[in-house]
Amino acid sequence: MTTLSDPLLKISQVRKSFTGVQVLHGLNFDLKRGEVLGLVGENGAGKSTLMNIVGGVLPMDSGTMELAGESYLPLSPLCATERGVAFVHQELNLFTNLSVAENLFIDGFPKNRFGAIDRKEISRRTRECIDQFSLPVEPDTEIEALSAGIRQMVEIAKGLLKNARIMIFDEPTTSLSKREKEDLFKNIEDLRAKGISIIYISHILEDVFRVCDRITVLRDGRIIETKATSKFSEKELIKCMVGREMTQVFPTIQKEIGKTVLLEAKNVSSGSRVKGISLQLIEGEIVGMYGLMGAGRTDLAQVMFGVEPMEEGEIVIHSCPHKRLNPRMCINEGMAFITEDRRQEGLLMTKPVGENLGLVKLPHLLNRFGVVKSEELDRENRKAIEDLRIKVTDYQHQLANTLSGGNQQKIVFGKWVMNRPKIFILDEPTRGVDVGAKFEIYSIIANLAKQGSAVLLISSEIEELIGTCDRIMVMRNGRIVGQSLKAEFDQEKILEMALQGES
Amino acid sequence: MDPNRVDTPLKNKIIGVLRDMPILPLLIISFVLAACFVPHFFTLYNLKNYLLQSADLLIISCGLTFVVLNGGIDFSVTSVMALGSVVGAYIMALSPLAATPAVSIPVAILVMMGIGVLVGFVNGLSVVKLKMPSFVATLATQLIVLGLAVQFASTVSGTSSISGLPEAFFILGGEGKFFLVPVVIAFSMWLFSHWLLTRTLFGKRVYAVGVNPLTSFISGIPVKKTILTLMVISGLFAGVACVIATARNQVGMSSLGDKMFLTTIASVIVGGTSTAGGFGGVNKTLLGVLFITLLNNAMNLLGVGWYIIMITLGGLIIASAMTSYLLNRQRGNNA
Repeated sequence: MTTLSDPLLKISQVRKSFTGVQVLHGLNFDLKRGEVLGLVGENGAGKSTLMNIVGGVLPMDSGTMELAGESYLPLSPLCATERGVAFVHQELNLFTNLSVAENLFIDGFPKNRFGAIDRKEISRRTRECIDQFSLPVEPDTEIEALSAGIRQMVEIAKGLLKNARIMIFDEPTTSLSKREKEDLFKNIEDLRAKGISIIYISHILEDVFRVCDRITVLRDGRIIETKATSKFSEKELIKCMVGREMTQVFPTIQKEIGKTVLLEAKNVSSGSRVKGISLQLIEGEIVGMYGLMGAGRTDLAQVMFGVEPMEEGEIVIHSCPHKRLNPRMCINEGMAFITEDRRQEGLLMTKPVGENLGLVKLPHLLNRFGVVKSEELDRENRKAIEDLRIKVTDYQHQLANTLSGGNQQKIVFGKWVMNRPKIFILDEPTRGVDVGAKFEIYSIIANLAKQGSAVLLISSEIEELIGTCDRIMVMRNGRIVGQSLKAEFDQEKILEMALQGES
Repeated sequence: MDPNRVDTPLKNKIIGVLRDMPILPLLIISFVLAACFVPHFFTLYNLKNYLLQSADLLIISCGLTFVVLNGGIDFSVTSVMALGSVVGAYIMALSPLAATPAVSIPVAILVMMGIGVLVGFVNGLSVVKLKMPSFVATLATQLIVLGLAVQFASTVSGTSSISGLPEAFFILGGEGKFFLVPVVIAFSMWLFSHWLLTRTLFGKRVYAVGVNPLTSFISGIPVKKTILTLMVISGLFAGVACVIATARNQVGMSSLGDKMFLTTIASVIVGGTSTAGGFGGVNKTLLGVLFITLLNNAMNLLGVGWYIIMITLGGLIIASAMTSYLLNRQRGNNA
């Protein structure tokens, strides 16, 4: 027998690992009826993985889930929807080329007796739905024409139409205006009043404090604390979110920071994610860049390397100012860019290691007829493989996609290092890399700096930044909101800046 | 299966070649079968014919290979042949220059190649600047250029063909004892393409851009320039093929490339260049050309009609696409 006081959703001992890396370590988790539960944690704490399991997007490795006292094991998102679990995604899940009505019924159009889609019925039920939730739309409005806030309301309505008992909101306010945000909070109130349970995931602590009844803090795939909102102070919450032991080992390499500024960004802006950024990279210095998801770090890196256009400001490389850049100019000026997504932006995955290593250096290995000097290329390739200890048996034939993540990342390093650049922009260089290879990559980075290169290291792991950097800058909403020097590194302070720094 | 297992070197080499060019054994077997069973196939006259038929197809297919290596397609090549043919023939037979072949022939040749370069350049700009898929861009130029060819021919001569070309021009088509001329030209262009693709910076860039333009761009490769260049190469090669085909037919006609597009694309794909881009090369295309021409030639000798040949070619394209899919899947499993 289930009673009202029993939890609606009960998760026990849920574990999940990706390619050998444990992401969730046996989570236990309750969601009561008609409550709004906040789920907070750093990037990579496991929030999205957990919610994807609840939403039927990912299967769990082990553990049990119970929904209203019955076993719950969603095999697909559709399965989860049928059991009353609706997911309002960060990037909304609507078809922008279809109408409101079509979106509401996309996973099950009502049919007439000839088996064709019953347009009248759809229109009638959509109208009902629109009235019920007082959506400011018409059934045949195309989603494209709607603002982010209204799209979200449509998505919520879609969930309710399926008799949702649990609604999961993943960063619901990122693309909303202030007013739309207020509307959303009012909607959440209404949902709670109807007895619907809500899981609210957000980086914006202010909002979490405002709408949630209870808050659960997740860190490194474990639940650290769950308390009523009123019993948390913001300070305490942040402490729970970091508070990580510095267990990882970092290489100790003695190096000196020089005086020469190798690269300077002056008031650089581009789009909504890079707003008036100024920074300096000095020879021999490793500068960290911390920020939460969507803070604009990757966008900044792309602008600095000329992948995305710079709208305002200038970038001074080796005392030569530039208003427009492209990757080729940057490479010629001695820059290197290790991208966040090595599969799509760093490597030719289906080509041999050798071809990948030569990509950047090749124009400098030509005879006067434009023919590649293959012996010299081979020599460079072998040197890079040896220097970076890339584990590959036959670099001329073995394809990049047959190597481990760490070795793939080393190929990307090799491709750049071969060209002997002086300025490195590294975007999440240790993502998807195992612990051993991480240490090697930290050593490579430290050695680059020792040899006089300037390094900008973008990372979501505070620990990694504290372990490797001389200085850490923090970005939030496209601006640099703070900086911290090596002597005063403090996890809590850095996270605090990333969460609430003035921007 | 371990891709790095050690076998005897010879066995390894054979397996490597077979995996790389599954068309090679097929070509050899077909050739032997044709020689044994198709009447008049293994005669000096027909083998000469076979090589001549391969020559212009090889040139145009080499050009197209560059585009396919980038994951694109060039529909306009056969139209380039049509327009080049009638304009070139006009210069040599009807224009004021026609009286002096020593002038008109080189001018005509340059114009034919120039038309190819121009069309290729327009295609390249549409792809690079207007971000049109090459499929759409070259389909448009195919129609426009073919239309121009037909219109031009009927305006200057009242029919769709222009005859009365100077005798000296026919040398390029392999007339009489000069039959090796087009074969040597085609082979040289093939060799040049092969060298370009395997040895030079440009070639390496073609493959890199074909596999992943974004990685290439971030690695400092001028992606747009590379794509533009290979569209121009495709046009230029079509222009050269036009010269040879026109000389062989001894007449300028707007229907010159009519049946050639199918054989061209079949040569490239059946040869083994992947339509997804980044894998293949003109070495494969050479085998594809020899195979497709062999098929064409033998079926012609057997009196099989063009439509049956079409059906066969279509079937072959599907079969080779399937083979490369299966081989790739195996490669994926090894990974």
